Amino acid sequence: MTALFARALYFARTSLRGIAATPGTAIVATATITVALVLVGAFGLVVLNMQALLARFGDAVQVTAFLADGLPEADRAALVQKVRAIDGVARAELISEAQALERFRGGVGQGFALVEGLGSNPLPASIEITLGSNYRTPADLSRVAAKAEHLPGVVDITSGADWVAGYVRALALVSGLAIGLGVIFVLATTLIVSNTIRLAVLSRRDELEILGLVGASRSFVNTPFLIEGLLQGAAAGALAWALLYALFRAGLPGFEAGLAFVLGGIEPRFFDLGESAWLWGGGAGLGLLGSAIAVAAEARH
Amino acid sequence: MTARARWRSAAPRAEPRRAAAGDAAAQLFHVSKSYVAGTYALRDVSLEFRRGEFVFLTGPSGAGKTSLLRLVFAAERPSEGQIVVLGRNASRLSPRSVPELRRRIGVVFQDFKLLARRTVEENVALALDVVATPRRVARTRVFEMLKQVGLQHRRYQSPLSLSGGEQQRVAIARALINEPDILLADEPTGNLDPDLTIEIMDLIADTATRGTTVIVATHDQTILGRYRKRTVRLENGRVVEDRAAPGSAP
Repeated sequence: MTALFARALYFARTSLRGIAATPGTAIVATATITVALVLVGAFGLVVLNMQALLARFGDAVQVTAFLADGLPEADRAALVQKVRAIDGVARAELISEAQALERFRGGVGQGFALVEGLGSNPLPASIEITLGSNYRTPADLSRVAAKAEHLPGVVDITSGADWVAGYVRALALVSGLAIGLGVIFVLATTLIVSNTIRLAVLSRRDELEILGLVGASRSFVNTPFLIEGLLQGAAAGALAWALLYALFRAGLPGFEAGLAFVLGGIEPRFFDLGESAWLWGGGAGLGLLGSAIAVAAEARH
Repeated sequence: MTARARWRSAAPRAEPRRAAAGDAAAQLFHVSKSYVAGTYALRDVSLEFRRGEFVFLTGPSGAGKTSLLRLVFAAERPSEGQIVVLGRNASRLSPRSVPELRRRIGVVFQDFKLLARRTVEENVALALDVVATPRRVARTRVFEMLKQVGLQHRRYQSPLSLSGGEQQRVAIARALINEPDILLADEPTGNLDPDLTIEIMDLIADTATRGTTVIVATHDQTILGRYRKRTVRLENGRVVEDRAAPGSAP
C-alpha cells in the first residue's frame, strides 16, 4: 500500500512537473481540445433542443377517426374500446360534435361567426388516437390508421404518417450529421493533441533515457505522460463547458424571438449534469487518447 | 573528512546479494556486436567478471569498450554469442525483463546524465522512485548516500550549480543508491581534472570492496597505473590482453 501510494505520488508529481516544464505544449493541447469540444458541444446543444422539439411534435402526431353521423353513444363507446385494443395505441379519446365545435371556436377566434351562420354544428364526432412513443413511425401510423378505418362506424381517417416520415428523415439526418462531425472532430483533435504531446515527450528525452538507465519500466515512463494528457483534457472539458455556458447565456436573449418561433414554446435548455459530465469526460478521454498515441509512437521510435 | 574517507567509513552491506550463477556477475561467450554489416564493434569476446571484482576495460577510442558495457546493461543485444548477467541471459531478455535487470546494475557516464531541472536529491532519488520506495524512506536513504559522497549539504541545489567532480559524485550516488550488484562506469573521469579524477576513482574503487562488481571503461593510463586492478585491453573489438591484478590468484 505504501509502495502504491509512493508510486501514485511520483506519477502525480512528475505529471504536474511535466506540464510546468512545457507550458507551451500544455496550452496548445488544452486549447485544441477546448475548441473541438466547444464545436461538438454547440452542435450537441442544437441536437438536444431539436430532439426536444421533435419529441413534442411526436406527442401531437395522432390518427383521427371520424365517426358516422348519428352513431349511438353505446356504439361510440364500443368503438373507442376497439381502437384502444389495436396494438401500439396508447390513448384513444372520443371527441363529440359539441367538443369539436368548442375546440373550433377556441381555434378560429373571430372566424367563428362563419360557423354560427350555418345554424347547425357541421363538425363530426371523432376518436383521437395517440400512439405509444415506440410506435410513432410512419409504418405504425399507417397500420393503425388502416385498422381503425375498417371499424364499423368510422367514415374517414386522417393520420400524420407523411409528416412523421419527414420527421424521421430529419432526425436521421441531424443524428448522422452529429455523429459524422463528432468523428471528424475526434480524429482531428486526437491527431493534433498526440503530436503536441509528442513534442513534450521529445523535450524530455534526456529524462526518459535516465529513467531507462535506472530500470524504469515502459509503463512507469509512460504513465506521467498519460496523466498529463488526462489532466489537460479534463481542464479543456471544464473550459469548454464554461465557454458553452457563457455563449448559451449571452446568446440566448438575442435569439429569443427566433427560437420561440422555431422551438414552438419550448424553452431552450443547457446540458444537464450527466451531459456535462460526458463533455468533461470526453475532454479527458481525448487528452488520454492523444497521449497514448504520442507515447506509443515514441516507444516505436 | 574527505568524500573517500566518508565512503570508507560507511558500513559495508552485511549480506551482499549473491549473483545467481556462482561467483560470476557477468559472462560473455563468444560475443560479437556489429552495427553495420561487415564491421564489428566487438568480435568473439569471451570474458567473465566475478562478483566483487574490479576490472578496467581499456583500449583506444573505438576499441569496443562502450559497446561491451552497453551489452552488459542490456541497452543492446549481441549480434552473436551469449551474455549472462546476474544469472540471466541478457541476449534473450524480453523488453519487459530489461528494467528488472537494470535495477541491479548502476551506470555512470562521462557526461554524468543528470537532470538539470531537478535537485541533487531528486536526481539521486530517481532510482528509488522506480522501485516505488516510500518518499520518507527515500529521503533518508538519499541523505545517507549523499553524505557518503560528501554532498548532503548540496541536496536541494540544481546539478548545474555543482562542479564537474560534484556532478559525477551525484551520478555515482544515483548509481549506488539501490546497492547494485554491478557498477558500470564509462569514462567516468573523462571530463574531470586530475585531482577530481582521483577523488572519483577512489569512490568507485571502494565500491568493489562492498561486494559490488565494478567495470570501468577508461583509456587514462594514469588511472590504470594508480589502481592496480585486473585490466582487459580491447583493440578493434577484440580482447588483446586480460591482465590479472597484481598479487591476485590467476
